Amino acid sequence: MMRQIALYGKGGIGKSTTSANLSAAFAEKGYTVMQIGCDPKRDSTRMLMQGEMIPTVMDEVREHGDREITADEVVFTGYRGISCVEAGGPEPGIGCAGRGIIATFSLLERLNVLAADIIVYDVLGDVVCGGFAMPMRKGYAEEIYLVTSGELMSLYAANNICKAIERLACNTTPRCHLGGIICNARGLLREEELVGEFAEKVGSRLVAFIPRSDIVQEAELNRKTVIEYAPASDQAGRYRFLSEQILNTGDFCIPTPLSMQELEDLGISYRS
Amino acid sequence: MKYIQPRPSSIVAALYTARDLEVDCAVLHGPSGCSFKHARLLEEDGLRVLTTSLSDNEFIFGGQNRLAEVLMYAEETFSPSRIAVIGTCVSMIIGEDLSAAIEIAGLQTETIAVDIHAGFSENIDGVILTLQAAAEAGWIEGGELARQKKLLAAANEVERLYGAASAPYIKPSRGDLKHVAAKALLARISSGDPGVVILNAKKETAYMFADILSAVHDACPDASIAYAANLSPRGLPKVRRDAEQIAGELAERGVIFDLIGALDEYGATGTEIGEWISHKNPAFIVTAGVPHAIPRIYTDGRECFSITNGPRQVEPLHALGHEHVLVEVDLHPKTLGVSSIVESEFGAVLRSLA
Repeated sequence: MMRQIALYGKGGIGKSTTSANLSAAFAEKGYTVMQIGCDPKRDSTRMLMQGEMIPTVMDEVREHGDREITADEVVFTGYRGISCVEAGGPEPGIGCAGRGIIATFSLLERLNVLAADIIVYDVLGDVVCGGFAMPMRKGYAEEIYLVTSGELMSLYAANNICKAIERLACNTTPRCHLGGIICNARGLLREEELVGEFAEKVGSRLVAFIPRSDIVQEAELNRKTVIEYAPASDQAGRYRFLSEQILNTGDFCIPTPLSMQELEDLGISYRS
Repeated sequence: MKYIQPRPSSIVAALYTARDLEVDCAVLHGPSGCSFKHARLLEEDGLRVLTTSLSDNEFIFGGQNRLAEVLMYAEETFSPSRIAVIGTCVSMIIGEDLSAAIEIAGLQTETIAVDIHAGFSENIDGVILTLQAAAEAGWIEGGELARQKKLLAAANEVERLYGAASAPYIKPSRGDLKHVAAKALLARISSGDPGVVILNAKKETAYMFADILSAVHDACPDASIAYAANLSPRGLPKVRRDAEQIAGELAERGVIFDLIGALDEYGATGTEIGEWISHKNPAFIVTAGVPHAIPRIYTDGRECFSITNGPRQVEPLHALGHEHVLVEVDLHPKTLGVSSIVESEFGAVLRSLA
C-alpha cells in the first residue's frame, strides 16, 4: 500500500536535507520512492540528483503548455532510482506560488505518475496560503512530520502547522494526521529533551533526533546525501533510524497546538 | 493561441454542463459577480445558481466555512435533487478545497465538486471536468464520458480552424442583410434549382435554428428541397429531451428530414453532412447553427446561406466562401427555458416575403 508523507517546518530548518536523506534511507531498504519538492526554490531534490537542479513542473508548463508535457520531462531518476519532481514556481514578489503547487498536483495526477511505495512531499517553510496545504488534501499525504530545532521561532512555526492539521481534522473523515516531530538540532542545551517535551505537549512524539553535524555540510558540498556520501557515519545511522521509525509507526494524532505563552514558558524552562 | 478577444468562460461551460446533467442547484464558490449573466439566464432553464459571494475578506482568510454554510442553506431551503459546486478563478487560486467543504456540510443530497476556473483558452475544459466529476459520482457512464470528450475535441478543432477561435482577434459583425439574403434564397428556390436545408446546431440553440427549416418549408412547401437535422436521440438527458421535442415539432409542421448527428455532435459530423450534401447535389445550401463544421470541399461551388448566432463567426464564414452569412443576434437567451421552437429573425423575414 502506498504511503504518502509530507514534511513541513520553518524555512531553513533542514526539511530538504531531512527529506532527501529520508528518501535515500527508504531507497536503501529497497522501497521505490518519489520525492516531490513543493517550493519555488526548487532545491529539494538536488542532493539526490548529484547537484543538478532538475527542470521544474511549472517551468515546463510555461515553456510547452500543459497539454504537451510527458512524464519524463518532469520526473527524473536520482540516487538509487528515487523519482524526483520539483514543482517550482514564480520568482519572489510575483505571481502566486501556492497556485503553482495546485497546478503541479493537477498535472502529476493527469500524467498518472503519483505511484511509488513511498511518496515524500517536501513543502516550503511558510505555508502562507491554501495552495501549500495541497499535500495535506484527501488523496495525498496522510502523515505529516514536522521538522524543528529547539529554537523558539522554529517551534512556533511547527506549532502553526499543527493548527492547520487540527483544522483539517474537522472534516467528517479526517485523513491527515500528525505522524511526529523530527528534531533537526541547532546544538542548544538539552535540545532533544526540549523538542521531546514540545512533541508531547501537542499530543504527538519525538520521532527522531538528528544532531548537528559537519558531515551534513560536507555531503552537501559534494552534492550528495549523507547516506550516499558517508554511509557508515553515525549521522547516516540517524537518518536510517528515522526511516525505520516512520516505516514502523502507526501512531498518528490530531495535534493540540500550544499558545504563545506556553511556547515561551517551554523555552524558558530549558534555559535555567 | 493567446487570444486578445474575450472567449466563452469555462466556468459558464461547467454551469451549462451541470444543467445538462439534471443538476437543479449549482453553487459558484467565488465572487458574487462571477458569471452573473449566465447564472441569471440558467434560472430560466431550471438550474438554480447560488454564489458564496467571496469578498476580499475571504480571498485573504479563505472561504471554506462560507461554502459549507451556503451548501447547508441550499439543501435546507431548496431541497435540490442534485448539487454541483463550481469553482471560480478566486477559489482556485487561493486553494479552496471544495470537496472538504462538501464533507463538512454533511449533505444528504448527491453533490459533485468541479475544480474549474476561467483560465482555459478552450472552454471545453469546463465541460470535461464537470463530466469527469459526474462520472466519478456515477451520474454518467464511462462510455458517455469518452464520447463527450471526443465530441468536444472535434467541436474545439472546428472552432479553432474555422470558427470564432481561428484568430487572436476577429471584429464582430451583424452579418449580411436578412431581407437581401431572403430574396436571393426565394429566387433560387422559385427558379427550380434543387437545394438542401440543414440544421446543425449546438444543443438548445436548435430551438431557434430549427425555425429556419420550418420557415423555408412554410414559404415553399412544394419546393425541390431536402432537409437534414442533427436531432438523433443521443447525449445527456436534457440534450435528448430537446432533440425529441424539436424533432416532434418539425414533424408536426410538416417538415420531413433526414437525421444526421445529434445536438452535441455538431462539431464531429462535418464529413457525414458533406457526404449527404454530395449525394443530394444541390445548387444551394442553407445551414443553420454551426455551418463552419462542414468541410469546404462540400460547399464550394454551391450558393451558401449560413445562419449563425456568433457575430465573430461572420468573417470566418465569408472566408470559407459562404456568400450569405446571417446572424441571429442574442439567440442564446431566447432559447433558454423554452420547450418549443422559437421564431428566428431570418425565418420571420422569409415568411413575410414569401
